[in-house]
Amino acid sequence: MVSLTSYLIVSAALLGIGIYGLSVKRNAIRILFAIEIIVNAANLNFAAFTRYLDPPLVSGQVIVFYSIAAAAMEAAVGLALILIAFRLNSSIDVRKLNKLKG
Amino acid sequence: MVNLPATPADLIPFLFAVITSHTFIQIILFPGFIHVTLVTAFLTWYERKIIARIQLRIGPLYAGGPGGILQPIADGVKLIFKEVMIPYKADKPLFLAIPLALVVMAALPFAVIPFGQNWVIANLDVGLVFVFAMISLFPLMILIFAWASNSKYPFLGGLRSLFQQVAYEIPMWISALSIVMLAGSLSLVDIVNAQARIWFIIPAFLSFIVFFISVMAELERLPFDLPTAEPELVAGWFTESSGAIFMLQFLALYMKMYLMSSLVTVLFLGGWWGPAFLPQPVWFIIKTLIVATFIIIPRAVFARIRVDMLIRIGWTRLLIVALVNVFLTVLLITSGLTAILGM
Amino acid sequence: MEIAIPPDLVFVILAAVTLIAAVLALQAKELIYGAIALGISFIGIAGFFVFLDAPYLAMLQIAVYVGAVVVLILFTIMLVRREQSDELLDRPEGGQGAVGLWLAGLLAVAIAGVAALAGPNLPAAPPAGNLPVSSLGLVLAAEYPIPLVILALLISAALLGALVLAKVEK
Repeated sequence: MVSLTSYLIVSAALLGIGIYGLSVKRNAIRILFAIEIIVNAANLNFAAFTRYLDPPLVSGQVIVFYSIAAAAMEAAVGLALILIAFRLNSSIDVRKLNKLKG
Repeated sequence: MVNLPATPADLIPFLFAVITSHTFIQIILFPGFIHVTLVTAFLTWYERKIIARIQLRIGPLYAGGPGGILQPIADGVKLIFKEVMIPYKADKPLFLAIPLALVVMAALPFAVIPFGQNWVIANLDVGLVFVFAMISLFPLMILIFAWASNSKYPFLGGLRSLFQQVAYEIPMWISALSIVMLAGSLSLVDIVNAQARIWFIIPAFLSFIVFFISVMAELERLPFDLPTAEPELVAGWFTESSGAIFMLQFLALYMKMYLMSSLVTVLFLGGWWGPAFLPQPVWFIIKTLIVATFIIIPRAVFARIRVDMLIRIGWTRLLIVALVNVFLTVLLITSGLTAILGM
Repeated sequence: MEIAIPPDLVFVILAAVTLIAAVLALQAKELIYGAIALGISFIGIAGFFVFLDAPYLAMLQIAVYVGAVVVLILFTIMLVRREQSDELLDRPEGGQGAVGLWLAGLLAVAIAGVAALAGPNLPAAPPAGNLPVSSLGLVLAAEYPIPLVILALLISAALLGALVLAKVEK
């Protein structure tokens, strides 16, 4: 059978990919991709833990449920922000979003 | 349980065991692929015949069989042998892959649709959500295809399709919620079993209306066929498709129509239940075809609505009716009326 | 009939699909392909959920992430598309790529290392127990009713917020 450790390793790899995207990319949409990947890594961990460590209860699944709903909102608001940034700067390079810089 | 073949010599008995298994025959014959394709082909002919009768024409006649019923086969053969035109600078892999994906997305949910007590391929615990999840992939596919066509009209049609399908998905889910509450299960088999005494169209009539209108919009049928509106957008999001590509899309659209009709049958019209003189799947298909008739008829009767009307109906009328309906259903269940109705 | 597919094999395939698609989502030259790869990665995660006896979450994952989030992303990409600048934006500058790689690699290896070290103490096989879908609903409604209400309010707020943000000033 698949052990809990395998899920944790896959999730850690996903987290690593997400962190790489967050730290390297300058395109706002790619950064959103990276955030979604990280959230998914966390969701996978919650689902795996709740399945292996407290089987009659599904508390972890409840958290994933909330997380999925929150991620949908996050994407909607985030993309609206990207649209505004594009309208103001005609670019989605996050480095050009420095209007507040003195 | 059959084990995967360990050595090449085990392969032939393994394949034999797979091919002769009950599930495999169900997947291939009934209620699986061949049955779905045949009924879908029949639906294309049936639609043309009905529209023709309403408009005092005769419709397809010369392709053979009674009333030209072999017309879909003639159409299919013609389309397969036509050249596939790929627009200049189109995204070739996506352009060729998406029509196939559309057919898969339309065919997969039939795995959980119960055509009879034992005529279901997989009785999933979450059957209804599975169907909805697959339906929610359609706007994504259509948008990608429209973008891959690299042409103006498909892109506009794709955007319209996206707005429309996303807007009407929400009332559809919410109106199905009251059915789930009445049946107490997300499994389609359980939902049909709960209708043995009384069909859900009676206690949940409002939900049926909302669901049916949403289905019309999801299917992009008139009066909601803005994504493929001929006078404005040539042929909407499939303007650039031809030959086999067009055939696959056409197949997917009518398969989705069959899927939605059977979903209405499962949720509201008691699924396979009917007097015992006909077998269960026959009852199911008869009911489904009746629903399909009601989906087809508006095409010959109504005019197309405007985009702003479409969005307003979806977000300010249907959504509110669907939400009110949820409260009504809660009242119905808590007041004990469902017990009186024998559910 | 059921075919006895070894769970390890399915797990490895799912993991490979999910991880490769995640990498492609970030590295694909064309943003649209990146979004499609992201969708495939989400479907891989949904496969893991099925494996973890959470079929409802799997369907929700497909309906919400692939059916809504990816669609939104694609829509935004098509609105803000620039012919040349995409690729330029995604190319790391100077030592940035190496630093990011080191950071991400160290973090992932650290977490995976902790998980592997704790491995002997963790259960190797899941305890038996077929969880019905309704148990999720019962836990949601009975134990966490207030978070559910807050979530509903949050969704409404986010919907209105996104509408206000994206509205074009006249």
